Amino acid sequence: MMVSELLTLRGATDNTNTTGVFSLTSDLIYGSVQYIQIPKGMKAKIWCKRISGAAVEVIIEYTHNILETPPTFTEVDREVLTSTGEISLEKRRPIVLRGITGLEGFRVSWNQSTPGLSYVELEVELTDDE
Amino acid sequence: MDKVVDSLGLVQENSFLAVYIPATNRAFVFRVKSRANKGFERIAYGPLPLPSGTTLATFTGGTVSVPADGVLPAMSLIPVGITFPYTGAYDSTDMWYLSEDYRDRVFHVITRVTPRWLRIDLQIPTGVVQLRFQRDKLPLGIERDWGFSRGVIETVHIPEVHYGYRFANDTNMNVYTFVEFIYGEYIIDIPKDPYLIFGVLSKKVPHHFITLPVNVYDATLREALVKVYGIEGFPVYPIHERDKAVKEYTELLKEVKI
Repeated sequence: MMVSELLTLRGATDNTNTTGVFSLTSDLIYGSVQYIQIPKGMKAKIWCKRISGAAVEVIIEYTHNILETPPTFTEVDREVLTSTGEISLEKRRPIVLRGITGLEGFRVSWNQSTPGLSYVELEVELTDDE
Repeated sequence: MDKVVDSLGLVQENSFLAVYIPATNRAFVFRVKSRANKGFERIAYGPLPLPSGTTLATFTGGTVSVPADGVLPAMSLIPVGITFPYTGAYDSTDMWYLSEDYRDRVFHVITRVTPRWLRIDLQIPTGVVQLRFQRDKLPLGIERDWGFSRGVIETVHIPEVHYGYRFANDTNMNVYTFVEFIYGEYIIDIPKDPYLIFGVLSKKVPHHFITLPVNVYDATLREALVKVYGIEGFPVYPIHERDKAVKEYTELLKEVKI
């Protein structure tokens, strides 16, 4: 039987720094997290991104080992909100990130030319489908 | 022809349910006479019964405290199976527990937990780790690489036995949890025809087959089966040993209490 859970993750820039890592919250998460660890044998599928607020680059980064100090994150996706406003990006083919050892994970970071308040929402499915 | 199970995965009335115990190579064959909760099979139970402050184990060998009611912390696991309390139930600490007086009933329970990635396994009875690899070389379960399911588990609750449900969260997120049950409260009997029992266990008669994850035959379970049903089940014979099977089933049926 296929396992699937859809998470809506939300984060905001700190309005102070031009770069940083989003703290992610969700209705299923108690508190917040700086990254999402992908369970062994499962996949994270990022189906949708919504970016709003001040101009910002939103970067998705993946690591094979979240236990490294610090982990080595590699960029896998970047979206640019060029001016104040909002964009909504839905994908017929999602970004797929695999949990091979159970130590993989991804995070979402921002890059701005000047600090501003921006928001990001991701629709992420954790699934064990083929 | 009607299916044995309906769209919920529950056994239809006047169909057969076989419950197999690997440790003994025996099975029970029940005829579902009726489903007491027909049309009302869903229970939105709520969060896992984990009170704030409960100490849980972690995948790294330490412990962690539950930060709020029903929250399963990151990289944590429930080391000893839990039951599901419900006020007013026969046993308010375990809503699926019944005594021998309820021997004409079994609960067929499909447990679904949110988030779906959570690992689940079962201890029958509570506290007894059941799954093994290479005989008893390696115990399996939620704290291992396999020996669990994610999100959903199906079982049949035998009276007089407390089942322990274990859950684990192998992510870095502290997660709110939610449990839903799809269940059938079956009113059952055991067919008195040894040929029919053989027909079910040799897969010739349509039925729904559930294997209890019992590889360690704990005395508690054995005593419960004898107390409730009068027997430990019907031995499963190969198809070419029908006569031998029927002869033994005939004798066992004299001991059956329902």
